[in-house]
Amino acid sequence: MTLRQTSESLHLRVRRFIEASVDGAATERFDDLALDIARFQTTHVPAFARYGKARGVDFDAMADARGIAALPVDVFRLARIAVHTPDRDERVFRTSGTSQGKEARGEHPMRTTATYELAALCWARRMLWPDARSFDVLVLAPSAAEVMDSSLSFMIDMFVRDVGHSATYLVQEHVLDLDRMERAVGDAVRRDHPVLVLGTSFAFVHLIDHVGGRDMRLPLGSRVMQTGGFKGRSREVRPEELRGKLSTILGLPETHIVGEYGMTELSSQLYEGTLAAALGFGAGVEGRHGVYVAPPWLRVDAADPVTLEPLPHGQTGMLRFVDLANVDSVVAVQTMDLGRVTDAGVELFGRAPSAMLRGCSLAVEDLLVAGGL
Amino acid sequence: MTIDSARARVWCVVRAARRVQDASDELGKDARARLPHVTGLTDESIELALRDHFETHPTDEEIDALVSSTTHAVACHIVLSANVFTAPLRALALGVATSERVIVRPSRRDPVVTELLVRALAGDAEFAAQGGTIEMVERVRPESSHALHVYGSDDSIEAITKGLPLGVVVRAHGTGFGVAVVGVDVDVDHVAEALSRDVVVFDQRGCLSPRIAFVEGDALRAEKFALALHEALASWSERCPRGVMDAGLLGEISQYSATMQAIGSYWFGTSHAVGLDPAPRALVLAPAARIVHVVPANASNVATLVAPWIRYVTAVGTNDDQGLSVAILRMAPLARVSRLGFMQRPRFDGPVDRRGTRVDENC
Repeated sequence: MTLRQTSESLHLRVRRFIEASVDGAATERFDDLALDIARFQTTHVPAFARYGKARGVDFDAMADARGIAALPVDVFRLARIAVHTPDRDERVFRTSGTSQGKEARGEHPMRTTATYELAALCWARRMLWPDARSFDVLVLAPSAAEVMDSSLSFMIDMFVRDVGHSATYLVQEHVLDLDRMERAVGDAVRRDHPVLVLGTSFAFVHLIDHVGGRDMRLPLGSRVMQTGGFKGRSREVRPEELRGKLSTILGLPETHIVGEYGMTELSSQLYEGTLAAALGFGAGVEGRHGVYVAPPWLRVDAADPVTLEPLPHGQTGMLRFVDLANVDSVVAVQTMDLGRVTDAGVELFGRAPSAMLRGCSLAVEDLLVAGGL
Repeated sequence: MTIDSARARVWCVVRAARRVQDASDELGKDARARLPHVTGLTDESIELALRDHFETHPTDEEIDALVSSTTHAVACHIVLSANVFTAPLRALALGVATSERVIVRPSRRDPVVTELLVRALAGDAEFAAQGGTIEMVERVRPESSHALHVYGSDDSIEAITKGLPLGVVVRAHGTGFGVAVVGVDVDVDHVAEALSRDVVVFDQRGCLSPRIAFVEGDALRAEKFALALHEALASWSERCPRGVMDAGLLGEISQYSATMQAIGSYWFGTSHAVGLDPAPRALVLAPAARIVHVVPANASNVATLVAPWIRYVTAVGTNDDQGLSVAILRMAPLARVSRLGFMQRPRFDGPVDRRGTRVDENC
C-alpha cells in the first residue's frame, strides 16, 4: 500500500473506533490500533524513528501502547512531525507562543482534519451538550478566519457549526466586546434559548474584570467551556475563584462551567465531567472540577520525570498521551505538564517542577514563563 | 567622595577576597567548609572557581574602569538573589565604588562569600579609614538618592524594585547566558578543549557560561565539533566532577536528552552532555548542568536562530573576527567578548553583565 492508502486505512479504523467507543462498544483493542499507527509513523517520521531507536523500542515484541516512546512536545517546534510532505498539508496548527519568534512555534501538520473533527465533536457532544442540540453560541476567542493556524479556533468553529443556532464572536483584534455580549445575551434571554459560551481563561478574566453593571445572566440550560491558561495576557486567577465569579455573572451553576484541556500537538481533548454528571449523562464520569476525563481513544499516563517511563495509576508525573486520532503525526506525546491519573480521570498540577535557580544563568523556566517555548 | 577613596575601598574588597581564596586563612577555610553544602558544587569545582575565577588580581586600569562605571550615591543597597558564589566580590566592589555606605542583602540560599567578605571588611582599618561602612541586612530599605543594585531573575528584580521611593537609582542585573562561536577556520579539537574550560566552571550556572555553540559550516563539521567537545568535557569528569542535581534539573535533562535523541544526537558522560541539532529550525536552551547545545550555522542564517534569544546573550566566546562571529556580535554589541577558554575570566572593569545594565532613575 502507498503511504496515503495506509494512512487512510488507519484513519478509517480510528474513526470506527471513535464512533463505537464513545457509546461504550469496541471495534478492536486500543493497543493494537495504537501500535499499528506507531509502526506506520516510525517508517515515515524520522524524528519518531530516531527517538524510538534511541529508547530501544521493539514493536515486534510489544503488545502494550505504554511501550511506545512518547515524543517530547518540544520536538514539534524543532522538526516537522508528519508522515506526509508539506504539499499534502490540508492544515497546519501552530502553538501560540510568540516570544521565541514564529519559526520557533510548535507545528502540527494535518493531511486531513476528518478524524480530528470526529474525535473533537464526539467527545464534546458527550461532555458539553449531551442533552441538547441547539445553542446561541458566544465565542470569547478569535475565529478561525482570524487565526488560521489555531487548533482551538478551528475546534470552536466546528462546535459552532454543530450546535450553533447563531454564533457571535466577541474577540476581535484582542479586544473583548462586552457591549455586544450584553446584547447577544439579552437576545437569547428574550427567546429563552440556551447559550453555549466558549472561551479562553484570560478572556473570561477580562469579562469578570470589566463586566461592570451589565446583566449577563444566561437562560436556563446554558453552559460554559473554558480552556487554556493565562500566559501573561491577563492577571492570574485561581480556577475556583474564576469559576465562582463566572457562575455569579452568568447565572449558572458551577457544574455548568466546564474546563477543557487540549493542546496543539494532540487531536483529542479532555473535559471536566461536572456538566455530564449533573445532567445525568455521566455514567462512570467523575463530576468534580479539576478532574479531566479523556475519551476512550485517548490514553493518559503519568511518566517518571527522569526515566520518562509510565508510572502506575495514582502516581504523580509528567503526562503522556497516546492519542489514536494523531494518525499522521505521532500517536504518543510526552508533555511537561504535571498530573496524576486515576480511575476518575486526570488531575492537572501545572508544569513539572523546574531546576532550582542556583546561579545567574538563564533558567529554562524563565523562558517558559515568558511564553517562549 | 573622591575617586581615590573609592578606588582604595575597592582594593580593600579585593584584599578581602584574597583571604577567602587563601586555603590557609580562616576565611578560606570557612569558605571551603560551607560552600559545597550551599552551592551543591563539588570540592573540586569550588577549588577551581576560587583559584582561577575569583578576581583577586585585577589591574589598576581595571579598578579605574570599575570605579568609573558607577555614579556616587549617599548609600548603596545590594540585593544578591541568584548568582554564582564568587559574584559577591564584584558586586561589593561596585557597591563600595558607588558609596561609602553599603548595605547588602546576601542570597538567602548562598550567603557564604558575602558574609566572609563583609566580615573581612568590618575588621579592615584601611576600609574604615577610607570612610567605608558595610552591613548585612535581611531586607533593604533604600531611600531617595540611594542606589540599589539588584541581581537575580527578571521576576525577582521586578518584585524587589516594585514600590521603591522616588529618587532611588536602580541598577538591575538579570539572568543571561553565553554563546560560543566556532569559526570556519579554527581547529575544532583545539576550540572544543578551550570551550570545555568555560563550560565546567560553576557547573555552567553563570551568566557568562556558554550554553549554545554555533559551528560555522555544515552539519558534519558541527558533529565533529560536538564529538570533540564531548571528549573534552569527559576529561573533566575525574578531576572536577559535576555537583549535585535536584529533581527538577534531572527532569529538564531528561526532556532535553529525549528531544535531542529525536532531532539529532546526544552524547553524555557522568558529568556532562552534548546535544546536536544538525538542521536547526529553532534553538533549544539546554539545562545549565555542563550541557552544550551545538548547531551548525552561517552568517546568513544565524540571525533567524539567534534573534529571539538575543536579549539574554551576556557573553560571546570566539577565536576569530569574521563571518559568523561578526554576524552574532552585530546582534549582541553589548555582550562581553572573549577568546574561547576565557569566557569565565571577564575583566574586573564593571558589572559582568553589560547588556545595557538597566539603570532606572526611579522618579
